[in-house]
Amino acid sequence: MSATMAQAPQVQTASAGEEKRRSRWEDVGFWILALVFIVIFLLPIYVLLKVSVSTLAQATAPRPSYLIRDPTWDNWDRLLDWEIIGSPLRHSLTVAFGTAILAIVIAAPAAYVISRLPRGVRYVVVLGILFTRMFPEVIIATPIASNFFEWGLNDRDLGLILAHLIRSLPLAAWVLVGTFEVIPRDLEEASAVDGSGRVGTLIRVVLPLAAPGIAVAAIFSWLDSWNDLLYAIYLFLTERTLPLMTYYYANRGTVTDVATFSIILTIPVILLTLFLQRWIRSGYLSGAVKG
Amino acid sequence: MEKSPGIGSTATTDTVAGLPVAATLPRRSSRFQRALRMHWLDAVLVAPLVLYILFFMLVPVGQSIYLSFVRSGTRDFTFANYDNIVNRSQFKDAFTNTIGITLMGVTMEMVVGMIIALMLARGFRGRGIFRSIVLVPLGVPTLVAGAAMLYFIGFNGYLNEILLDLGIIDVPVYWQQSGLRGMFAIALADLWKTTPLVVLILLAGIESIPGEVYEAAEIDGAGGWQRFWHHTLPLLMPSVTMALILRAIDAFRIFDIAIVLAGQTIPVMSSFVYFDYAAGRTNTAAAAAVILLLMIMVFVVAYLLLVARRTEDVR
Repeated sequence: MSATMAQAPQVQTASAGEEKRRSRWEDVGFWILALVFIVIFLLPIYVLLKVSVSTLAQATAPRPSYLIRDPTWDNWDRLLDWEIIGSPLRHSLTVAFGTAILAIVIAAPAAYVISRLPRGVRYVVVLGILFTRMFPEVIIATPIASNFFEWGLNDRDLGLILAHLIRSLPLAAWVLVGTFEVIPRDLEEASAVDGSGRVGTLIRVVLPLAAPGIAVAAIFSWLDSWNDLLYAIYLFLTERTLPLMTYYYANRGTVTDVATFSIILTIPVILLTLFLQRWIRSGYLSGAVKG
Repeated sequence: MEKSPGIGSTATTDTVAGLPVAATLPRRSSRFQRALRMHWLDAVLVAPLVLYILFFMLVPVGQSIYLSFVRSGTRDFTFANYDNIVNRSQFKDAFTNTIGITLMGVTMEMVVGMIIALMLARGFRGRGIFRSIVLVPLGVPTLVAGAAMLYFIGFNGYLNEILLDLGIIDVPVYWQQSGLRGMFAIALADLWKTTPLVVLILLAGIESIPGEVYEAAEIDGAGGWQRFWHHTLPLLMPSVTMALILRAIDAFRIFDIAIVLAGQTIPVMSSFVYFDYAAGRTNTAAAAAVILLLMIMVFVVAYLLLVARRTEDVR
């Protein structure tokens, strides 16, 4: 990023006076475009906040206003009641943490082994894991739901955790293979010479070095589970998670409650994503592009 | 855990051998045994993931394919499930909507994503803040992106309000209906939610092109446009392909946004499968799911064969 900053002025000083004037107009155009994008990207969030502090009548009136007028906390007061939010919140949290922990426990050891395979084999395996993304989730969820009903796993946190792992494991494995790949083998060999067994080396040397990658994989899994509507709608019939609550309110048409629940659902996601941004740098993805 | 016998025995050999030189001899003689033991550990580490992918992904896909070809509740082979769905208007709508949404959504996402990526590749004051704002939708659940769009595409929504204020339309448009308008509404929500991902992938590609920073900075006028078309874009093809395939696959599978925005009024393939399943028609649901899988596979194979290969020839 700093390189980009440093090079841009050079280009400008190189250009002649006439071009400079033209590039000023270009700059104005550039900033107008940037401003339009900023508005577009922030507007939906603003509207959600606005609707959540509006009355139902205000929110559904023709010609809605852009500014917040007479904010009311009624929606928040009503919905932040343990009777309403307690059970969905508990389900959502249990399932998200369960999925994140199990995703790491299952994916990390496998990812380590895959990362130590010869390059060609590793490439094929990782590609194979990513290809599971081609399956539409409904083709898996339909029989899974039938099976889980037979096994009595419907409306149970465990059932939803098992279902969410279907989505989380490939992504966690992919992130973790990338993490383990860059840990030099020399370190392991050195530790082996010191007399540590292979499992000892894994736990004492490799695992601490992989901690940031493991955290990223865990957060991805947590987020995928927290955001999920598809498996929840298939598996939870009487119980509800937070996304299911949002969906049911949307179905019933109480738009103010949809907005309020949407914000409740979004807050942890936005916090975790901000935290993740240190890792979702462009360089992180460029490795994936180059394969 | 189960791995402990492995370490235990390795550790004993090492300590018994004492001197490092002497240690190599017994090691060599039992190399096969050691290799077996090491791979046994590898197998134990890999097994849970492999078994999970097998039993919770591949077997269900097989089950769906099987279910789609048998009469409900029996084991009799039949094409009736496919016959049934292709004759239902709800399915035809779901099919065309899914393709329409994918075409519209992915096209808009690639164009907007490319513009923003090129803007970000240019150094400017406030780039960091701009980047953070553009990435905001990454931190919003897909379901919420759909819910937020409710306030835009409603008859009294902000999309109509903005278009009225800008003088583009004179009377409010009813967006939440089947057909092109409904597809556009859903594609719009998808555009907002997923453009940041496209931006990240394309930006990574642009930044890995040597000297590209200059080109992006000089993307002024016709010269800039030609440079982009003839130099940047061909070099960017791997990133474009990756973004396009990832996005198209997810657009074909679109569920959350469609179901929150329009429920059954604007069916897409995934929501059709769910509603058929929920109505107790597991076999026809499975048939629709298999057709969706085929749509995705046909698209990916066709794209890789036609587009990706041709651009490679040109290069």
